[in-house]
Amino acid sequence: MKKYLLATAALAMAVSINHGVQAQAMAKPGEALDMVLLPKFLGILPFDQAHQGAQEAAKELENPTPLQFLGPTPENSVAGQIEITTNATTQGVAAIMISNNSGDQIVPAAKAAQEKGIAVVTWDSPIPSAEGEDVFVAQVDFSETGVVMADMALSILGEDGGKFAILSASPDAANQNAWNAAMKEALKGEKYAKLELLDTVYGNDQSEESYNQALALVDKYPDMELIMAPTSVGIVAAAKAMQDEDLCDTVKTSGLGVPSEMLAYTMNGCAPEFALWSFVDLGYLTYQTAYAIATGALKAEEGASFKAGRMGEYTITKDPTRDAGLRILMGPFSVYDKDNVEAAAK
Amino acid sequence: MNWLQRYVRPEQVRELSLLLLIIVAVIVFGSMIDNYYTSRTFNRIASSVAIITIVAVGQTLVVLTRNIDLSVGSIVGCTAYFTGTLLAQNNDLHPLLVVLAAVALGSVLGAINGVFVAWGRVPSIIVTLGTLAIYRGLLVDLSGAKTVTTDSLPSWLVDLPRVNLFAIGEFDFRAMFMLALMIVIIFQVGTSFLALGRRLYAIGSNPDAAKLIGLPIKRLVFLTFVLSGALSGLAGFVTLARFGNITVEAGRGLELEVVAAVVVGGVNIFGGSGTIMGAMLGAIMIGILEQSLFRLQISEFWRDALLGLLILLAVASDAVILQRLRSLWARADLKFIAKPPDDGPAPERRAPP
Repeated sequence: MKKYLLATAALAMAVSINHGVQAQAMAKPGEALDMVLLPKFLGILPFDQAHQGAQEAAKELENPTPLQFLGPTPENSVAGQIEITTNATTQGVAAIMISNNSGDQIVPAAKAAQEKGIAVVTWDSPIPSAEGEDVFVAQVDFSETGVVMADMALSILGEDGGKFAILSASPDAANQNAWNAAMKEALKGEKYAKLELLDTVYGNDQSEESYNQALALVDKYPDMELIMAPTSVGIVAAAKAMQDEDLCDTVKTSGLGVPSEMLAYTMNGCAPEFALWSFVDLGYLTYQTAYAIATGALKAEEGASFKAGRMGEYTITKDPTRDAGLRILMGPFSVYDKDNVEAAAK
Repeated sequence: MNWLQRYVRPEQVRELSLLLLIIVAVIVFGSMIDNYYTSRTFNRIASSVAIITIVAVGQTLVVLTRNIDLSVGSIVGCTAYFTGTLLAQNNDLHPLLVVLAAVALGSVLGAINGVFVAWGRVPSIIVTLGTLAIYRGLLVDLSGAKTVTTDSLPSWLVDLPRVNLFAIGEFDFRAMFMLALMIVIIFQVGTSFLALGRRLYAIGSNPDAAKLIGLPIKRLVFLTFVLSGALSGLAGFVTLARFGNITVEAGRGLELEVVAAVVVGGVNIFGGSGTIMGAMLGAIMIGILEQSLFRLQISEFWRDALLGLLILLAVASDAVILQRLRSLWARADLKFIAKPPDDGPAPERRAPP
């Protein structure tokens, strides 16, 4: 029983409007393409799920060359991503799928890949300037993320509002920054007038650091009632910290998290509401997109549309959050609470 | 001065001044941070100090013999991760077995260090720098990029950080902090009164002499590395319980904090002097600094830089100040011997350390 948010309707429309306008591309299955899936770093569940989805797509498309799932370690994310991109370019792979954690620092490496004829598809987190990138597969609309987070804050804190802080991943993550900015933008609305954002801190997607940052927030702001963590590592670390300190009654946790990891905290009230999209689907759609571009079946230009296997038709549009960027919008958001989290955690 | 010299050894002056420094630090941070003097700050520091203290006890044993163990952070990470994985697959494992598994794995990793240092004759800094990278590398590779998450762990473990043994007012004395305290006491007593413990000091202060009197140096050095590994394994278990979500990054950089705690705590990096209690004071100092700098929202890079600075200052002051103190004490000894004894009964003197 998932609660789909506003985005669903808009998305359905966007997809259907383009339907039939242009001849639809269908990638021919069975081509041997060497493809690299590059997450921000290795070792956390969402990226594993994306990997799963990508493998599912690879199987459907009968690509005989196994998918390479390569990622740096968290502390070496920026340099590691650039290195892996450069190596893949040297090897002459057919497509690189990047969840970019390096800001625009990855641009030279991505451009070099493109010049060699490699399809560069970003997913989860784009290249901010869009240089060196063919298209970005967006999990959700980024300004939508801000609204969803503001809505959850309002629903947890109630009509009377309250004070809260953001526990983000790293200051270099384009998606995190975009979401935080979108949330600040959303907070300007009349509806959220009684919500006050105190601070934004960074736990660098490390459990220990995020845990300590969450506690530091509690100590610094005694009247804070909510920690909003738009990162799957940060949200569990914050929830665990609040539970360990018996603070769950006064300080709630919310943000973006994986249902299976959040189950216990949602059921015991530490994190009454959180949101996410399916990372399996995101990996699947990303692979479909990259495969279609690499085989030449899909051109990375505005208005081009294609059929992405079981997920149906998608169209490339301008990315409203980045001036020069193109994107494919997946969506929608699922908001989880104690009524539906158990089913989703399975 | 005479009184001071009679009852206090130079090394104890060092520990007392650290105690004073801790008080100064608390006053300074208290003036900079609102709501600092609360039970909450105490509880926070007590919980965060537990892990550093347990590892620092093992490190002290190693440093006493003129060696160093840089691989502790990687051992903590490995044991936290593999014990977590084991427990996630067999939720019914008895808690005692889980702790034993963590300690056993830590001991094995420590033993590998010990073999290379004691019998391979490779300097410990090189051996453990190597295993620091090797253990972490193995962890990243064997883990297959999976995370241990709280939901896969049994509730007794996840709730362990909240278990409160007793409380004085609002000051909690939690199980993990008490565990660390217990280990400090056991090893403090062991190093002060057991022949085995005193031998570690002997090896560190003068390895040649220790060899001449027939101490089994190799076996003892090996033992200290095994103990350091075992305690790191125990700390790995505490890490697993405290953070619940264990990635391949767990415990990374811990060696810096631990070495800082040990040398700030007055354990001489050239071996032979220092106490377990001192190392615990050092760990408390590091814990206060870390928590307070967190509250002041100072970036992690500055925190690490500050730890580095502390290590330098501590070792430098050991070299300069402690030498002065020792010669001051030695001069007093000479004066004492020169004096005719008919001024009254000669006060009993402690043997020089």
